[in-house]
Amino acid sequence: MIKFALAGNPNSGKTTLFNTLTGSTAHVGNWPGVTVDKREGTYKKLSEKVQIVDLPGIYSLSPYTPEEVVTRNFILDEKPECVINIVDATNLERNLYLTTQILEIDVPVIVALNMIDAVKANGDKINIKELSNRLGVPIVEISALKKQGTDELMKVAYGVAKCGRNSTTVLQESIVGPIIDKVNEALPNDLESKLFHAIKLIEGDELEVAAHPEANKIAVELKAKIGDEFEGDYEAVIADRRYDYISKHFTPTVVRAKKQGMTKSDKIDKVMTHRVWAIPLFLVIMFAVFHFVFSEDLLFLNAIFGLEIKSEGAINFFTGMGYEGEALGGIPSLGVFLQSWVGFVFDYLGALLGRVLPDGTWYASLIIDGLIGGVGAVASFIPQILLLFLFISILEDSGYMARVAFIMDRAFRKIGLSGKAFIPMLMGFGCSVPAMMAARTLQNEQERDRTIRLSICFSCGAKAPIWAMLAGVAVLGGILGDLFVFGIYLLGIVIAIVSALIMKLFSKSNEIPPFIMELPAYHAPQFKNLMAHLWEKFKHYVYKAATIIAASTVVLWFLSNFSWAFWTGMVDIEESILADVGRGLQYIFYPLGWAIGEDGWKYSVATITGLIAKEDVVATCAVFGLTEGTIGLSVAGIFAFAAYNLFTLPCMAAVATAKGESTKKGFWITVAWWFASSYIISMVIYWMIALYEVAIWAGLLVTFVLVALIITAGMVVWLRIKKHSSDKE
Amino acid sequence: MWYEYLIAAAAVIIVAIPIILHFVNKKKGKSSCGCDCGCCSSCDKCKCTDDLEK
Repeated sequence: MIKFALAGNPNSGKTTLFNTLTGSTAHVGNWPGVTVDKREGTYKKLSEKVQIVDLPGIYSLSPYTPEEVVTRNFILDEKPECVINIVDATNLERNLYLTTQILEIDVPVIVALNMIDAVKANGDKINIKELSNRLGVPIVEISALKKQGTDELMKVAYGVAKCGRNSTTVLQESIVGPIIDKVNEALPNDLESKLFHAIKLIEGDELEVAAHPEANKIAVELKAKIGDEFEGDYEAVIADRRYDYISKHFTPTVVRAKKQGMTKSDKIDKVMTHRVWAIPLFLVIMFAVFHFVFSEDLLFLNAIFGLEIKSEGAINFFTGMGYEGEALGGIPSLGVFLQSWVGFVFDYLGALLGRVLPDGTWYASLIIDGLIGGVGAVASFIPQILLLFLFISILEDSGYMARVAFIMDRAFRKIGLSGKAFIPMLMGFGCSVPAMMAARTLQNEQERDRTIRLSICFSCGAKAPIWAMLAGVAVLGGILGDLFVFGIYLLGIVIAIVSALIMKLFSKSNEIPPFIMELPAYHAPQFKNLMAHLWEKFKHYVYKAATIIAASTVVLWFLSNFSWAFWTGMVDIEESILADVGRGLQYIFYPLGWAIGEDGWKYSVATITGLIAKEDVVATCAVFGLTEGTIGLSVAGIFAFAAYNLFTLPCMAAVATAKGESTKKGFWITVAWWFASSYIISMVIYWMIALYEVAIWAGLLVTFVLVALIITAGMVVWLRIKKHSSDKE
Repeated sequence: MWYEYLIAAAAVIIVAIPIILHFVNKKKGKSSCGCDCGCCSSCDKCKCTDDLEK
């Protein structure tokens, strides 16, 4: 089967084109580099099947990142029959930089000029024939999003693949032109794509220098004889010459309709990335998301007007048949509404089986209290989790999340924190595993270790059922449920910043990693993509519930219903194996407040089971009979318990990822950090809130001292960085 | 009763399933993180970012 590769800049539409050609439903995000590794599919509309490989989005073929190395190695070593270079027609100059590099490889190339509909909508024109003549390769106009021109592209690519192609370069008439041929001659004759390797040697490419030491010597000698304004930085020389050639020979083929003023995205960004209002806006948006998902008083009818719903029918409708004689304080959000009905289904199933199965038997207890209770408790939160992910996906796909990293960078650069580290952390809102993997983009090892350490501060999807469960606890009241969830997420962000500050304080390095980021244009999220992503999330939760959660609840049920002499039969929970173990654990967590009391050991065990999967915290509580209606923690206890689960060790999968991605020393510091920070933060939160409840002035005093310490730490770091910058100058 | 043995066996199987799947997936080279957004090189939904410092 012949093989075509899709190569191009991030956000140029490669994955969209890949999905169109192969019918796959890969997630298309708006952040650069959605795919790290290559993905493959098959195009079947030609006379023979074509294997399509979607390469990672890259800006050049220099080996600075794993994505660039993957793409380069694939094209050079696996020799696809054709490289389809996707070029964003609305951003021709930047996209053609990579094109000029691909053309230096001996591989058939065709340019797919994507987003051509956007160019036409702007009234601009591209002289395709002229551009194709100048590039020396065919160009096909497409709109991958609208599925226009894709079949034509594949027909032309198929024809191109049969013809073969010799490499060309735009650098022949530049300052390095004379030495390209000489370096080319010094390379082995049997080496393919010699032109590409020669130019890379002149750039001082590490991989080429290591692979061709003899030719490199000649390149170095020849370069020494040339004087230039870049003082020997040939990578910069060559980049400069490429852009020079592009602007002289390719850019003139674009005819603009009118003078480019502010785009729609620019106008929106004036507000969304405003110097003063950007962060408050971000907080409002995040609060709005949590309000729609977790609130029990969606329209603030109870909070502002004191209105209550008293009708039994209405209450049953809004609460999943949850009428208990009391009025309902407000209309719940869609998330709470759906959660109550899914919970009702499981409760009904449990009650039905309770009538069928003999009461008091071990298997009735296993099925009803263990499996249905435990799995049902987790499953009932699926609607809220999916809703939460829907809103986060909308923020991502619209382009807003990219702005958040930009806002964070601008706000915290002065105290040594870079937005570059925030990008992986913000991914932690989905799952900590890719957040930790994304830390690979940070070149500094210490920065990488720190980012991995802090990625758990951004609550992952698996922890959301814990917040949903705690948000429903009666003591928090109507509106406080969504404020609680918002507070937990905000706490995570604040602690991440404070922790980064503390680590910077003890770090010897005062360098702030540079941060360059493309802000993609705002656009309405694709409904199909959103639904595809939600469907994947739903399948993941069902899979997890049916496997890990189900297994955990069976084990927990056994340990909580049998004593060490299990052959004697079921016992009361307080005499079970788990109670004995839990009471031992309870002492460790006593200072944190939430482990005090007769149910304290249950919360201790629940938090330990969270190491298997964070959803297990909810499942364990359910097996113990601790649900929203029966959790007896105080407000301080709820926040402290939540904080402990937020900052403690993540699930084992994430721990394994952290181990793989960190340095050896960094990993153990990270584990110690997770244990210590979760313990301390939970303890501080519990006693501070408890202090507020006893004497507000004492609570305020402690808060003031803490804030003052944080500000002092920030100022010390800021002064150090300022001194370092002025020393450098 | 006979069905009690069946239920006990089913419970053991439920506990064993994730362990078996872990080893089966490992042998197939699949991501073992159990997370649909794992970047363990075999997962399609990785959202790792590029290094844009060029």
